[in-house]
Amino acid sequence: MKKLKDFLKRAWSIPQMRIGLILLALLILMAIFAPVLAPHDPYYLYDERLHAPCAEFPLGTDGVGHCVLSQIIYGSRTSLTIGVIAASISAVIGTTVGGVAGFFGGKTDKVLNEVMNVFLMIPSFFLILLIVAIYGSSMLNVMIIIGLTSWVGNARLMRAQAISLKQRTFIRSAEAMGESKSSILWKHIIPNGIFPIIANTTMNISGAILSEAGLAFIGLGDPNIISWGQIIDAGKKYLPKCWWITSFSGLAVVFTVLAFYLIGDGLTKVLTPKMTQQK
Amino acid sequence: MKQYIWKRVLTGALVVLFSVLFNFVLMRLAPGDPTRLLAGKENPNPATILALQERYGLNKPIMVQFVLYIKQLLHGDFGFSYVSNRPVLTIIGERFGATILLAVVGLIIEITVGILLGVHAAQHQGSKFDTILNGISYFFDSTPAFWLGLMIILLFSSTLHLLPTSGMYNVRENYQGFRRVLDVGYHMILPTLTMVVLNIPYYFRITRSSVMETMNEDYIMTLRSTGMPEKQIFRKYVLRNALLPIITVVGITMAYMITGVAFIEIVFAWPGMGRLMLNSITTRDYPVLSGIYLLLSISVAVMMIVVDVVYAYADPRIRYED
Repeated sequence: MKKLKDFLKRAWSIPQMRIGLILLALLILMAIFAPVLAPHDPYYLYDERLHAPCAEFPLGTDGVGHCVLSQIIYGSRTSLTIGVIAASISAVIGTTVGGVAGFFGGKTDKVLNEVMNVFLMIPSFFLILLIVAIYGSSMLNVMIIIGLTSWVGNARLMRAQAISLKQRTFIRSAEAMGESKSSILWKHIIPNGIFPIIANTTMNISGAILSEAGLAFIGLGDPNIISWGQIIDAGKKYLPKCWWITSFSGLAVVFTVLAFYLIGDGLTKVLTPKMTQQK
Repeated sequence: MKQYIWKRVLTGALVVLFSVLFNFVLMRLAPGDPTRLLAGKENPNPATILALQERYGLNKPIMVQFVLYIKQLLHGDFGFSYVSNRPVLTIIGERFGATILLAVVGLIIEITVGILLGVHAAQHQGSKFDTILNGISYFFDSTPAFWLGLMIILLFSSTLHLLPTSGMYNVRENYQGFRRVLDVGYHMILPTLTMVVLNIPYYFRITRSSVMETMNEDYIMTLRSTGMPEKQIFRKYVLRNALLPIITVVGITMAYMITGVAFIEIVFAWPGMGRLMLNSITTRDYPVLSGIYLLLSISVAVMMIVVDVVYAYADPRIRYED
C-alpha cells in the first residue's frame, strides 16, 4: 500500500503526468456525462445548416445541421473506446507472446522472435487500411485490426522482462518447489514485469486513436457512429468559410492523444529509475 | 559479420514472402467475385465467367494459384486496375516521382533541423529553450497530419492569401523549364512545412535523449577526469556516439516515406501515391491498393536490412552480439 502511495506521489511530481491525468479525467467525464453535457441531440438535423458558433450552437453546426459541440462530446466515446480496446488487445497478445518467448527460451524463443521481427517490418497502417477497405469498416473491425498489428512493441518489452526476471531467486525457488512453468509465467513473471507494458499501452492508445481518426478521414470510418475523424472529413469541404467544423473536432483529437501521450511518457519516467535500481 | 548480414536478409525475405502470402489471401477472401466485376454486367453470361476464370487461373486449386501469383510478381506483373484496366505498376510508377520529391525534401529539412535542435537542447538541459521545445514537440506529436495540413491551408492560403492551397503546379500557366521548377517549389512550400513541423519533434526528442544518455556514460566521465576540454569531449566523443542510434531512426522513416506523406498529399492534392491510395479506396480498386502495399512492404524490408547492416558497421558491439 505504501509502495502504491509512493508511486502515485512520484508520478504526480512529474509535470507532464499531471497535465496528462487532468486532461484524461476531463475526457472521461465528458464521455460518461455526454448526454448531460451535450446541448443537443448529436444525431438531430437542425434547420440551421453551417451556422457559425453562437449561443444556441456554441461550436456551430455542420453541413447537414448537426450541432458540432454535441457531436464532439459524443465522439469522445468512440475515440476512447477504440483506443482502449485496441491497445488492450495489443497488450494481451504482446504480453503473452513476449512472456512465452522470454521465459521458455530456446527454440520457442527463436521462432517467436523471428515472428516478431517479421511483424515489426510490416507497414501496419497500410495493412489496416487495406483490410478495412476490403472487409468493411465497422468499429469492431477497426479495433481488432489495430490491436492485431500493434503488439510487437509490447512483446519485445515483455520478452526482455521475462529474460531478466527468470534469473531471479524467487522464480528459481518457485521452480524448485515444482510449480508448473505456465503457472510461474502467469503468476510471477507477467505480474512482475508488466509495468513497462502499461506505459507502452498508454502510448498505444494514442496511436490507435490517431489511426482511427486517419481511417475516418479517408472515408474508412464506421458510418454508424460519431467519430472525430469523420467530423474533420465532413467539414473539409466547407473550408475555409465554415472553419469551425474541422478546427474544433481536430483540437479534440489533439488533446485526447496528447493526454495519453503525456501519461505514457510520464509513466516511463517514473519507472526508469526503479528499473535501474533493480539492476 | 557475414553471418549477421545473411540473417537479416533471411528475415527480410521472410517478411516479403509473408506480405505476398498475406496479400494473396486477403484478395482471394475479399467479398465480391472478381470475374463478375470484370464481366461487368448485372447478369453476365456464364460462358464469359468461365472463360475469365480460365484466363486468370481462378478455377485452379488455391496452391497452384499462389504459385502462379508469385510467378506473375517476379515478372513485375502486379495485376491490372479494376478501374482503368492499366497495369498497376505503371499507374504507381507515374505517381512515384511526386511522392519521392516531397518526401526527400521534407526528410532532409526535418532531419537537419531536428538534430540541431536536439543537440542544442541536450546541451542546455532545463533551459527555457529546452522546456519550450519539449512542450511544442508533445503538441505536434499528438497532431494528425491531415488536420494540421488543413489548418495550415486555412491560415496561409485562405486567410493570409500567401500560398497556393493545392496541386503541384499552376495548371493555367503551364510553365516550362526553370519557371516550372520554381512553380513546383512554390506549390511545395505548404506541404513540406506541414511534414517538417510534424516530424521535427520526433528527431528532436530522439537526438536530445540520445545525447543526454551519452553524456552520462562512464567513458565520458573518465575523459572529463583527464581534464580534456568539455568542447572537445562533446565534439569528438559525445556527438559521434550519440548520433549512432539516429541512423536507425532515419532509415526507418525513409522506409515509411510513402505512407508518411500520404495524408499530406491527400490534403494538398499533391499528385503522388497518397492521392492514388485515396482514389483507389473510393473506387474500391483493390489491385492498385494491394500493389502499393506490396511495394511498400518490399521497400520497408530492404531499408531495414540496409539500416541494420550500416548500423552493424558503425557499431561493432551489434555484430558480435549473436
